[in-house]
Amino acid sequence: MTTITPATPHPLRECRTCRHFRNDAAFLEAAFAGLTSMSSGYGSVRAEDGICLRHDRYLRAHASCADHAPRVAERAGPAAG
Amino acid sequence: MANVDVHPNPAVSPPLRWRELWLKEDWWAIWLGLGIVVAAYAFFAGGGSIRWIAVTPAKWSTWPQLGAHFAANYDRYIVQFLAWLAAFSLALTALGHKARDFIPSFLILYALSVVIFTLGQWDKAATYNLEPPLVALAVGLVLSNLVGLPRWLDAGFRVEFYVKTGIVLLGATLPFTLIVWAGPAAILQASIVSVVTFAVIYGVAVRLGLDKRLAATLGAGGAVCGVSAAIAVAGAVGAKREHAPIAITTVILWAIVMIFVLPFVAQYLHLPAGVGGAWIGTSEFADAAGFAAAQTYGNLAGHGAVAGTSEQAIVAYTLIKVVGRDVWIGIWAFVLAIIATTQWERAETGGKPQAAEIWWRFPKFVIGFLAASLLITLATTGYSLADYNKSVVPALVTPIKDLRTWAFIFCFLSIGLTTRFGELASAGKKPFLAFSAGAIVNVIVGFLLSAFVFAAHWESLAP
Repeated sequence: MTTITPATPHPLRECRTCRHFRNDAAFLEAAFAGLTSMSSGYGSVRAEDGICLRHDRYLRAHASCADHAPRVAERAGPAAG
Repeated sequence: MANVDVHPNPAVSPPLRWRELWLKEDWWAIWLGLGIVVAAYAFFAGGGSIRWIAVTPAKWSTWPQLGAHFAANYDRYIVQFLAWLAAFSLALTALGHKARDFIPSFLILYALSVVIFTLGQWDKAATYNLEPPLVALAVGLVLSNLVGLPRWLDAGFRVEFYVKTGIVLLGATLPFTLIVWAGPAAILQASIVSVVTFAVIYGVAVRLGLDKRLAATLGAGGAVCGVSAAIAVAGAVGAKREHAPIAITTVILWAIVMIFVLPFVAQYLHLPAGVGGAWIGTSEFADAAGFAAAQTYGNLAGHGAVAGTSEQAIVAYTLIKVVGRDVWIGIWAFVLAIIATTQWERAETGGKPQAAEIWWRFPKFVIGFLAASLLITLATTGYSLADYNKSVVPALVTPIKDLRTWAFIFCFLSIGLTTRFGELASAGKKPFLAFSAGAIVNVIVGFLLSAFVFAAHWESLAP
């Protein structure tokens, strides 16, 4: 498995703000075959978890690593499902 | 694994936090379910009822009878369809779905639901085991796997949204006192089975050499709330991308088998409705699948094939599954996240798990279930039992129950319509073996607890 180099936890370096991280519900429902059969990408239990496209991991939005690549900040855009 | 567009998002959204009130399906199930409950009570308090719009197919035995029913009530079905369509469209559009895909899809779903509901009301349906949940599932599976449906139609087949809405409506038909009385036993029974099941799946998976994160993901899928628990824990422990689909496939295959097996094994063992419902609540994996099995068992009771009442099976199932198992998913995820980040891969990820995630992962529709129960219980406190049965049940409770039945039929059909076996990820022999070991232990322990240890409790359940 790809080793992820740890980073000091910091809000600005969280996966949530990384361009390798995808957590919109529609994307996850397409990525995880069968998810909609008995669950959903839009449910509360998923919180804001998403897929790290760099490390191919399914991670908490608050996780972080040294490979963090910031995305453009947005004032009020569409939310993660 | 599905082939998906993997282009990263260009912009960052702010954390979801309380915006989940309108951006998560759980909350929309609450708004919709409680909206129906409040409207029902408002009509009732004004001397009326929502009975007109809560139309359901009547019992029938001949075609002319059936034709007469629809000729006399077609306008009620049209208005009901439009009301569901408007409510679901509002919610799903807010969640980001396209109304132009949802509308034709829901039209098909509603039409199929009318047919299946009607079939279930045929006086010979029980003779041929044409239980609506099983028929809905079977029809859906045939259409999606043998006929094939365009992918865009999935927009209307929202299994989880329908089942959550149905659960909120179910709350309104249960006295809050019953939940308080039966809840602790449900939590105790469910907790015992959850811990044992998780331990078996995790232990066997690790012994077979599987990654601990996959083992935990599979374990949660079997022990807590199926696919939803599997993805919650997969995210919490930082599973590999392919772990979640493996768990999803395994849970779906087992859950579908259990829908068909559990009710009939329970019937063969002559379990009373409440006991059978408790067993299904303990041993089914996903909420939606479990409701299909519990509703089937309840229908068997309704036909007199097993002792007890239809509602006993549904209520026992709900208490065990929703109150006993689902509500703990946040804690499972939090504890496993701590173990994952402190024991399994200290060198790989940063970012400590936050206790607040217990709340953010909490299945919020349970709040709606409890609120609906409390609301109706308080609103009808002043009625004597005789008055309650004479006026409250037919004018208030029964119409809500009928709308609940519609929501569940939408759900059962959607399970079949969205389960395409050919598209599921390959689970692999070892994950399937590990999960199966836990499932077998789960069924046995669940049976012992339901049919012996807590049998008197579930048998005497009086919704």
